[in-house]
Amino acid sequence: MTKSIKIALAGNPNVGKTTLLNHAAKTHLKIGNWSGVTVEKKEGFLTYKGYDLHFVDLPGIYTLEPISEDEWIACRFLKEEKPDIIVNIIETSSAERDLLLTTELLEFGKPMVIALNMSDEARKHGIEVDHEHATKLLDIPVIKTNGKKGEGVSDLLDAIIDSVKSQRLPKVPQYNREVEQALLSITKTSQQEKLDKHTLLERLADNTLGNGEKSDLESYFNKDISGIIKNERYAFAHGFYSDTFRKKKFTAKDLTDKIDKIVLHPVLGIFIFLSVMFLLFKISFDFSTPFMNWTEGFINDFLSPLSQSLLSNVGAGNWLSQFFSQAIIGGVGFVITFLPLVAMIFFLLSLLEMSGYMPRIAFIMDRFMHKLGLHGKGMIPLLLGFGCNVPAVMATRTLDNKRDKLLVMTMIPFMSCPARLVVFSFFAFLFFDHPAFIIFGLYLLGIVVGLLTAFVLRKTAYKGQLSHFVMELPPYRTPRMRTVLQITWAQVKSFLHRAGTVIFAASIVVWLLLNIPTNRQNPSESAAAYIGKMITPVLKPIGIKDWRISTSLIPAFLAREIVLSSMGTIYSADEPPQHKDFHFIPALEHQVIGLGEATKSSVLSLFTPDVETFQTDEGSHSLRTVIRSSFTTASALSFMIFLLLYNSCMATVAVMAREGGKKFALLFLAYSFFIAWITAFIVYHIGGLF
Amino acid sequence: MKFFSGYHLKRAPNRIETKVFAIPIDHETTLNDLKIAQTACIINFYKENEAIKKVEAMGLRCGENVVILQKLGRGIVVKTNNSRIVLTTDVAENVRVK
Repeated sequence: MTKSIKIALAGNPNVGKTTLLNHAAKTHLKIGNWSGVTVEKKEGFLTYKGYDLHFVDLPGIYTLEPISEDEWIACRFLKEEKPDIIVNIIETSSAERDLLLTTELLEFGKPMVIALNMSDEARKHGIEVDHEHATKLLDIPVIKTNGKKGEGVSDLLDAIIDSVKSQRLPKVPQYNREVEQALLSITKTSQQEKLDKHTLLERLADNTLGNGEKSDLESYFNKDISGIIKNERYAFAHGFYSDTFRKKKFTAKDLTDKIDKIVLHPVLGIFIFLSVMFLLFKISFDFSTPFMNWTEGFINDFLSPLSQSLLSNVGAGNWLSQFFSQAIIGGVGFVITFLPLVAMIFFLLSLLEMSGYMPRIAFIMDRFMHKLGLHGKGMIPLLLGFGCNVPAVMATRTLDNKRDKLLVMTMIPFMSCPARLVVFSFFAFLFFDHPAFIIFGLYLLGIVVGLLTAFVLRKTAYKGQLSHFVMELPPYRTPRMRTVLQITWAQVKSFLHRAGTVIFAASIVVWLLLNIPTNRQNPSESAAAYIGKMITPVLKPIGIKDWRISTSLIPAFLAREIVLSSMGTIYSADEPPQHKDFHFIPALEHQVIGLGEATKSSVLSLFTPDVETFQTDEGSHSLRTVIRSSFTTASALSFMIFLLLYNSCMATVAVMAREGGKKFALLFLAYSFFIAWITAFIVYHIGGLF
Repeated sequence: MKFFSGYHLKRAPNRIETKVFAIPIDHETTLNDLKIAQTACIINFYKENEAIKKVEAMGLRCGENVVILQKLGRGIVVKTNNSRIVLTTDVAENVRVK
């Protein structure tokens, strides 16, 4: 029988924890959230030498003193979930800084292993470590590792198993005599089970144990208790560093400093940032769009008719056949259509994150963002919102503060995505002489509403001062492709699991609404039409008076561009349905050729100077004719504004619910409906005057 | 003349050696007052708030030398040992340097 070992991976940010976890767990990486919060939780699973190893990657922190959400999580995990062993990962070249956390971890008195990571970088800085002496001093294994190449990972795994098997405990740090005496004294007053040193120090600091030891110490040192404890920990860390680390006196030319002179430059920095963002957009959208189109075609033109053909061959009824092909395959298919885009965005974001550039963006943009009451880091999700709101909402995880996350999340849905652009292009070209100005104006309106929303929320629901901005700029590193791909894969799995389940259920509901009662003759008799007719009075004041337009908004909740196809379906309901014969081999051949063409277009799109995703067609000619008769110029503009501002995208709502809570997502949905309705109402009535 | 007493107590696990030292402070200078490429030594912190606790944990500790790499808006990039830290002017004004 295999034994299970729960391992807590603890370390400062950017010390290579995730890279080491990837080496250890390979593809068995799971990305989720810590319960109750939106801080990302990475876990890895591995069976090694008869042991089931369960790695839990704690948030990157500098200290266990619970200041931020990350530190609370790490501290709570170590205390409440009681891991079998702690693996403390130290960046060798910044060890003196990292050793504060090491000191605090040692206080728990749990089996522990230290991984001295990035030892190759340290050597370049002239830093040498006597790791045998370090092992002797702390009585725990100290292993040299290299996250990039995976060196030392098997030694680390062996050390983990040996330490748990032998229950090898570390030497707990010994502090000043007076502090130790105070701890001994409060231990005696404790009636509870044996407390570890970290908890004892906490009890001493908050004065929940003992008989005045805290005040005695404070008067002895003429310092408050937190200052005394902090000094003791720093002194231990410094002493350990002096004994085990040696730094040669030479000045290596630091490449990071040279690059930063350009990247952090007040003018050049902005230019580089804009170029990087353009490339991020271009590569992610242009590269993934052909694959997204192919996936959509594969599902609608191959899988769906295939399933219909198979079901009719086994004698399944028409209704069941349609349910399976449209609701089940169509619903799951909708989620899968997003996959190339989500995967590409996370791949590129991981590249930026692992190269060390991402925190630089936050620094460069903070001077603009803080005027809006936001941190510089908020810029990245907002820009991604113009591509797709779903990964943009997920990208708010990079923000440290919950208030900032929620504020940015409320702005993202107003950033117009290409799905809306499809509808805008159709209506703008149909009703306006200068469609480009109208589309540009809509984009601008979205940005203004997003900014106003953030401004109002900052003054009301998310009051409070903009928190300070403190972060580390890691050195530039060449990202390891395998690690980037592993992280992307884990994010893709997480996306499928999270958004897919909700959208799958919703697509079944929408399909049912469009298809019940089963004996309906045309869409006007369906439950969706019934709801459409019910909501028409609500939309009438904004110029949407036709029930067929209101009804088309219902399936559009799955994806905004569906508005056009829904309108097409509803308007052409009187026409008899066309049944096409499905032939497996030619259809498969068509799909294979389509995949080849998609790959070719993806690669070629990278060599064009502009972002091709935004070059959309205007829709079919027949639909244009019927739509022109149903809208006026004012109502068309009002309709576009409503579609721009109302968060009518199930995927975005689902991801917002996941990241910010169900209440938050529903409240925002209601707010976006309200703001969309009001704006559309004003525009429709002013537009009607001309 | 004011004096600052540092916590550079050298206390390795197997022995205890204490080196308390004092640095004379001539004038009041904070990180905010330094210019790009200027180097200084951190002598103490005016406040012990959460931000200061964080920058201390990140490596900006008393006795450490820092160099200003860049200043942009409210942000300052400082380098100490091998770490580059961004902090805003409201945090930097509490870091006393010489």
